[in-house]
Amino acid sequence: MESQQEPEHLPSGPTEVVNSIRERTIAENSMVVLLQGLQGQVTTVDLKNESTARGRVVNVDAFMNIRLDNVLYRDRRGQLTQLQDLFITGRNVRYVHIPDNVDIMKTIQSQLARIHRVRNFASHGGGRKEFATKTK
Amino acid sequence: MVLLKNLRPPTEGVRHEQAETTAVMDGQKVGCGTLYVAETRLSWFDGSGMGFSLEYPTIGLHAISRDVSAYPQEHLYVMVNGKLGGENEAEMAEKGADDEDDASSNSSSGDDDDEEGAITEIRFVPSDKAALETMFSAMCECQALHPDPEDDDSDNDFEGEEYDVEEAGEEHGHADIPSFYTCDEGLSALTQEGQATLERLEGMLAQSVAQQYHMAGVRTGETNAEFEDGMEVDAAAMEAGQFEDADVDHW
Repeated sequence: MESQQEPEHLPSGPTEVVNSIRERTIAENSMVVLLQGLQGQVTTVDLKNESTARGRVVNVDAFMNIRLDNVLYRDRRGQLTQLQDLFITGRNVRYVHIPDNVDIMKTIQSQLARIHRVRNFASHGGGRKEFATKTK
Repeated sequence: MVLLKNLRPPTEGVRHEQAETTAVMDGQKVGCGTLYVAETRLSWFDGSGMGFSLEYPTIGLHAISRDVSAYPQEHLYVMVNGKLGGENEAEMAEKGADDEDDASSNSSSGDDDDEEGAITEIRFVPSDKAALETMFSAMCECQALHPDPEDDDSDNDFEGEEYDVEEAGEEHGHADIPSFYTCDEGLSALTQEGQATLERLEGMLAQSVAQQYHMAGVRTGETNAEFEDGMEVDAAAMEAGQFEDADVDHW
């Protein structure tokens, strides 16, 4: 099953939009963009403390903080708990499983394209200026 | 369990306050009080001056638990790296008060808590279960304000030089180059003054609520000067003109 995300669809919700230049720059230069492209997918995150969380990716920010919902959380001892919403601090992430159906290159490319579109949209006057004559 | 008595609830940057919230630490009920989700730290006080606070860098995860088969009440679950309680707690709180940025080193008591993976599980059980989502979101926002400063993955650094727009341009043609030049490309061409000014501007940006895109574009010396960075420079900024080119000569 292909990714649910349409390239044109910007993430909704209070904390999901990558709304800082710094975060975009960080994301653009790291593999975090791949994780950000997993939004909407169900996947498993392995934490450094040997626990795992499987749920739907709500958001991943540039610092690899991961927000999941409808989570099945397995602690180190193997005990299972259901969690409605889970926020994992980036520092605690060991692995993020990429679902088999995800095309990694395409996901990265579309995420980078989205970042560039957001950037260009934000410039005054709208759109790219490849041959700007003067600043306002 | 030792609770600290000399801390006060935060007054600034409180994103959310939840009264009538019971705190349970590692299975032990601590009491009923108020949870304060502030930008600097997460704290809880029982109203008589007793309470504890947590530094966001020490928080590994937080979650909403509505699974009553796992725990009988719906609550906000917070997992803290390291152990709270006993000697550690007093030390940790002092470190927290004195040195906010270094809260992750709470293994200074001599135990290698962090490395052994010791954790503290804290549950905040509000009497108003409907507030859980707001509590959770407020924590998400505050947690995001504290990215890991010790991240050993240097790719997250602004100063990474992997992406060279010139090389990319030669390989793919100019049409594919984004019109916005990130700090990475221009950073290598910055002088010390340029670096300092960039840092100052970044600091200003971070404080600016509006997040308007007035950051000056920074480019390598070789790039075509006609290429706008896609972001207008605020005319009111006195030094705006200095950043049109990152040439050393401009200074």
